[in-house]
Amino acid sequence: MFGLVLLFSVVVYLLSIFLLMAIKFKWGMRLAGSISLVVISGMMIVFLYEAWPALEQYGFGLLTTAGWDPPREEYGLLPAIIGTLITSAVAIAIAVPLAISIAVTINEMLPRSLRTIFASLVDLIAAMPTVIFGLWGLFVLGPALADFINTAVGEYVAAPLSLLTASILLAIMITPYAAAVIREGYALVPKVVEEAIYSVGATKLEAVFIKLKYVKNYIFGGLFLALGRAMGETVAVAMVIGGNYSRLPQSLLESGITLSSLIALQFPNAAAYAYMIPVLFTAALMVAVLGLVINGVAIYILYKTQI
Amino acid sequence: MIDIRGLRLWFGNLQVLNGVELKIPKNTVFAMMGPSGSGKSTILRVINRLIELYPEAKVEGEVYLDGNDIFKMDVVELRRRVQMVFQIPNPIPNLSIFENVALGPKLNKLVKSKAELFQLVKESLEKAQLWDEVKDRLKTPAGKLSGGQQQRLCIARALAFNPEVVLMDEPTANLDPENTAKVEELIVDMKKERTVVVVTHYPPQAARISDYVAFLYKGTIVESGAVREVFTNPRHELTEKYVTGKVY
Amino acid sequence: MRKQLNTVGLALFAVLAFLAVLPLFHIIIDVYTKGISAIVELGGLSFLFDIPPTPYDNKGGVGPLLVGTLYMTFLGAVLGVLLGFPLGVYIGEFRKEFFANFSRGGVNILVEFPTITVGLFVYALFSISLVDINPMLEGISNALASVAGGWVKHFIGGLSQFNAYAGALALAIIMIPYVALFTASAYASIEQNTREAAYAIAGREYRAVFIVLRKAVSRAVLAAVLLGTAKIAGETAPLLFTAFGNVYYAPFTEATGAIPLWIWYAAQTPYEVQIASAYGAAAVLLTIVLAIFFAARLRQ
Repeated sequence: MFGLVLLFSVVVYLLSIFLLMAIKFKWGMRLAGSISLVVISGMMIVFLYEAWPALEQYGFGLLTTAGWDPPREEYGLLPAIIGTLITSAVAIAIAVPLAISIAVTINEMLPRSLRTIFASLVDLIAAMPTVIFGLWGLFVLGPALADFINTAVGEYVAAPLSLLTASILLAIMITPYAAAVIREGYALVPKVVEEAIYSVGATKLEAVFIKLKYVKNYIFGGLFLALGRAMGETVAVAMVIGGNYSRLPQSLLESGITLSSLIALQFPNAAAYAYMIPVLFTAALMVAVLGLVINGVAIYILYKTQI
Repeated sequence: MIDIRGLRLWFGNLQVLNGVELKIPKNTVFAMMGPSGSGKSTILRVINRLIELYPEAKVEGEVYLDGNDIFKMDVVELRRRVQMVFQIPNPIPNLSIFENVALGPKLNKLVKSKAELFQLVKESLEKAQLWDEVKDRLKTPAGKLSGGQQQRLCIARALAFNPEVVLMDEPTANLDPENTAKVEELIVDMKKERTVVVVTHYPPQAARISDYVAFLYKGTIVESGAVREVFTNPRHELTEKYVTGKVY
Repeated sequence: MRKQLNTVGLALFAVLAFLAVLPLFHIIIDVYTKGISAIVELGGLSFLFDIPPTPYDNKGGVGPLLVGTLYMTFLGAVLGVLLGFPLGVYIGEFRKEFFANFSRGGVNILVEFPTITVGLFVYALFSISLVDINPMLEGISNALASVAGGWVKHFIGGLSQFNAYAGALALAIIMIPYVALFTASAYASIEQNTREAAYAIAGREYRAVFIVLRKAVSRAVLAAVLLGTAKIAGETAPLLFTAFGNVYYAPFTEATGAIPLWIWYAAQTPYEVQIASAYGAAAVLLTIVLAIFFAARLRQ
């Protein structure tokens, strides 16, 4: 019954977009303009609906405890929440300096002909399938990183699949997103301001720093966008993070889990248990809320700056 | 003393300066006038090498500052000695009023202590007749000031370097009469200690404030000399038409 | 001292920027060297048609996965353009409207939204509604099959929980904001006099906006469509719970394989031959994505 209602409303919605366009054009456009809002709010409602049994059963404790024992129906999302925070924080710490460097290099150092080529390469990183990053992280980056650390320390301290591997892989993947925003802002520094900076006797490096300060809103905007990407990234992280569901991570060199990789790794066997699907939908709800808040902040910062 | 010899300049394929020869004596106000597009601002940007921020510009010729070739000088050092005030007041808008003046001396290590820096900023703002208006809000972003105040802030920023030369690119073009009068007063005041090169396309202003003038037309100097000479007894027909307002 | 600092600092920026793109080269080289030798070993050209290897095979390919990827990407792209284009026109052409700001905010958030949530969303929609919809679909399928032949059942019929259409819908939702944002910026950059001319000659408003003005932005929109297609062709997370993956040539109403899903699955198995096939599949996928990406770049 519910399914028919759903199908009916989707069909009515889509039909009325195209019908209204023919009759009352502006209203048709407005209805089309609401697609993204409908999808986002639909997502939130569906996740809340699907997560409800778990929220009812475990309450708030689901988010504040560690543990993952499906046969006993004991779940806790705390390791995943902490893993998400750690990996995205480390990834951001690496990615933002790289993104700033990309913006500076493209705008200040490369000759015009090389600019587009270099910028295309950066964009290509963003266009690469994430599963290929995962493949590379699993077979190249992870082992290389562990080897490097273990030889440097002299004993076995680092696992190939770890929070650190995931963080570095994430950093590589999110850098272009932050770089795109910072680059856009950097190119908008007015010529008169640039002349002012140089006429106070600044060297090029000093001018770069003054300009970066001038576009700091773009840097924050890019930072938050990249953070949103890092928190939501799934398959690449799931392939290199090691999947440690029940224990709180003690160091970056251990395996761990994040909210989205938890969903990806546990969903295939979730149907066998009573509460695992609702628990995973709770995780999805958290990912969605985080995505909404962080990207909302990013977009607010950038909107405010542009006007 | 600034000595410009055979200066030619292209933006891409467009030739903007066509063999400019000019001698600007020390401690005078030297006005360059001419219709828009005649290359006045471009000459200023060559003198402090800001022209290098325009990658499509190609420069030929020589410019000497007190006998030294500016193209062989350290560019940061040159810009410290040759300051510039722009047509559109351009404080760095996100920095505070204080920082806008203090930035240059700080970057170039012209002062040794915070107290000295404050003193320098204060003196510069006083010389630019802005101190009384802003002394209670030195931490406000410079973008919040009015246009006239911003322009005087830019003058203060230039004076903080105690420069030998101040280049002014139509400094009053965007100001109201009251601020224009203040800025003109500042210009005349400045020449006690430094050379001022001011670009204007308003001949009466040149007549009011300058000692020497040059008249530019289509990238060449048509006429230059002492202000009274050029205004009362122009040798060239074009100059006469311009100073009497028949050519823009 | 200041001069040296200047040189060193600028060099540091350049080095970091170079470092940021270095992994890209390593990844591409790694995928192609391991991938091509895997393809040769697993069957050469037949790699494109064979079913994936089981742990005990020494030959295999990506046939059903390639078909699934192409089918779902195509459907997703079509649906994404169909909905994303008018949405983009609205936020680009009517950007002064109050509601357009919300709409734009929504699109900007959706384009950055974690893709796994889209997959789960579609999964939930299908698991809620299939019971009611399937009898209808089976009726349609039987009716069509009696007219056109049994092949129809390969495409239309009662859907399983996991099927190609769920995958395509998830990909479409990811595609929509891509197309919308590029379309919007293309429409926003149309000059005012072009716009006035379009309204003057077109008569009806929708013709001005969708037909006349579209000609002014068609290159940019086409590039956007291609970039969006490249993006969804490589997506994995949204397919995990919608298409699910399949190693056989199966009807699209059943669980359907896709190249990214196979890479994800096979790379995590302990079997050499499957890991090799994951690299082979990655080389195929990368080729598809690079081809679309550069086609889009050349059009920009």
